[in-house]
Amino acid sequence: MVKTKMQKSFAIGLTAVMALSLAACGNSNNNSNEGAATNAPKSTDSGNTATATTDSGKKVTLTFQNIYPDPATPAYKMIHELTDQYMKEHPNVKIELDTLNTDQQKVKLKTQAASKEVPDITIVNPAAQMKPFVDAGLFAPLNDMLDQNGLKDTYQKGLLDYYSFNNNVYALPDGNNIEVVYYNKELFDQAGIKNTPTTFEEMLQDVKILKDKGITPMAIGEKDSWTGSFLFMNILLRTNGGPGFLQDVLDGKKTFEDPAFIEAVDAFQQLVQAGAFPDGATSIDANAGGNIFKTGKAAMWSIGSWETGAIDASSVAGKVGAFQFPTVNGKGDPNEFMLAPGSAFAVSANSEHLQETKDFLNFFASEYPKKQFELKNAVGIGQKVDGDLKAAGYSDLAVNIAGLFNQVKGGDLAFDNTMNPATAQVHLSSIQNLFVQKVDSAAVAKEHQTAFEANKE
Amino acid sequence: MKVLKVPARTIAVFVLPCLLLYVCLVFVPILVSVYTGLLKWDGLTASTFIGLGNFKDMFFNDPVFWPSVRRTLLYAVASMIEIPLCLFMAILLNRYLRRGNTLVSIYFTPVILSVVIIGQLWKTVYNPTSMGGMLNGVLVSLGLDSWTHNWLTEPKIAMFALYFVSLWQYFGYHLLIQYTGVQNIPDELYEAAKIDGADGFKADRYITLPLIVPIFKISIVLAFIGSLQAFDLVMVMTGGGPAHATDVISTHMYNSSFGSFKYGYGSAIATFLVVVCLVFTGFINTIFNRIERKFN
Repeated sequence: MVKTKMQKSFAIGLTAVMALSLAACGNSNNNSNEGAATNAPKSTDSGNTATATTDSGKKVTLTFQNIYPDPATPAYKMIHELTDQYMKEHPNVKIELDTLNTDQQKVKLKTQAASKEVPDITIVNPAAQMKPFVDAGLFAPLNDMLDQNGLKDTYQKGLLDYYSFNNNVYALPDGNNIEVVYYNKELFDQAGIKNTPTTFEEMLQDVKILKDKGITPMAIGEKDSWTGSFLFMNILLRTNGGPGFLQDVLDGKKTFEDPAFIEAVDAFQQLVQAGAFPDGATSIDANAGGNIFKTGKAAMWSIGSWETGAIDASSVAGKVGAFQFPTVNGKGDPNEFMLAPGSAFAVSANSEHLQETKDFLNFFASEYPKKQFELKNAVGIGQKVDGDLKAAGYSDLAVNIAGLFNQVKGGDLAFDNTMNPATAQVHLSSIQNLFVQKVDSAAVAKEHQTAFEANKE
Repeated sequence: MKVLKVPARTIAVFVLPCLLLYVCLVFVPILVSVYTGLLKWDGLTASTFIGLGNFKDMFFNDPVFWPSVRRTLLYAVASMIEIPLCLFMAILLNRYLRRGNTLVSIYFTPVILSVVIIGQLWKTVYNPTSMGGMLNGVLVSLGLDSWTHNWLTEPKIAMFALYFVSLWQYFGYHLLIQYTGVQNIPDELYEAAKIDGADGFKADRYITLPLIVPIFKISIVLAFIGSLQAFDLVMVMTGGGPAHATDVISTHMYNSSFGSFKYGYGSAIATFLVVVCLVFTGFINTIFNRIERKFN
């Protein structure tokens, strides 16, 4: 009797487990179906597509690979509302969103690129990161489409240069941001910290005070190693006394064994040793790392200003301020920032519906600033937008950050936007290593230099 | 073949579709990647032929390569050591339970879960104390505070934390194989042995072990090849980090190909992996053939 009962409950338990795993399979199946579905029209419609225009009324399906997966963020609403609007106005066009998080998308695109199957619209990062794709001829130049209705003039002066090669623009950025340090005013009050730090020494001091109060001083998600690198590069921007360190290395004027670089590594290690970051930071991915701050569990977060809208939409809205990264050992100018020209929309050169894709992207990019403004996500947007933030009901944080943009005197691009991918990978894991063990700074410098020389073109 | 009473030609015809599929999906890609292993190629733009340059880099200049080979082989050894344990469990289950199927099914549960789920599950188990990790929580409540660790982010420990999850997941798999093997041994043999005075572990020594060798071999080969190819679990839990501390051959290959855009170099690593798999499979087969011959 007991035995059959037990067997029954086991059977039920196992069924539940099976159902769960089937559900999991179901999910992945959906994804792959999506992939298959988006490929299918290409193969069936292949032929006279190059000459097709929007007016032909022919049914077309466009794939829009994007990195806005979180329904809680304004960016998610933006892409859904804009694509829905376009599909309503153009019933013959169906836009399928292939939504991934940043690092997954990078890998997926590289995999697709290796087999020359880039989605109609995809996301790339500026300068060095998109160069291999452009060199491989995978992207269509967008010059004609940019000139078509004055779209080009909506972009900030010089911004499109980061996405241009041989006088052709290959991608349209979703923003133009700077790195700032967000801080939670409530937690600062709790720890009795009155002023935001203006020197690195003060910052270390604040880290120790917060740590003693049991508050995680700085949020980070270092499983995605660009996050640590972005912070590190800000320190380097200071110890180098200004921008251009990596460019000097590329030009052969400096090496990674320069004192400025070693000093930056030392400073970064001080931050780690002081316990600035959450335990197990290297196993936290970037989204989860951001959520540590956005749920009020960490006091500071050094990240790009693109997070402003998301912070205002989170549970710490209204409690957050931002400050400029402090000087390090008295060096550097706080008005120089890590510059982050945004991820950008590129069009596949092999798209079966090139014209339709360009038409859609033209619409998308033209409406983008207005939509972002409406969704209170217009800070760091990269395109001119009419309207006053304050009057439109933006938060003090947003107005504050928008003010910081006016102080920008110059700065550097992220490491992986400046150096080739192979060198960047060595750099990223070298910085990740600093999170888990104390390393001789000179050895870190040497590792960088060796990788740079080995991968020079 | 004679038993089937069909001409060889018929057999060939029936084998052909599968053979073609196998050649196209397995052999051709292997050959292609051996060839791309000889190129300096980013996967996108034009490639240059550099002969064995990638292999030279791999063996002599890559600080990540040999440690990841070591971790992979350790992985393989650990999962092979697990098999005798599975066999022992299988023998116990078979002897003391009239119907051990239920238990075996329970042990098998982790195998049907997706590796991503397993990875996420164990990630939360391994979380640091401050994030409410279960393992650390248990240690603290037992008063063993000094034993707590950041299991996945301390370079010296992280790899072992991964080995453990993998062993945990595949325990049921190999147990099922061994259990089925043990059950298939005819009862008459044991009864006859009993009459001759061999009972319990003595019977196992002279009946179970010799007869289970072929099954045992299957498990060993599966465990070995499986752990050489270990990829998904590492990717989900640590991504090879922190700073390559948990990189195995396959994750290093993947990061080189798609992270650093060194497709040619990644292919060279893949070639190495194929060769290692073939050599060791051959090696294991030879050893077991000897053992089987000895028992017969």
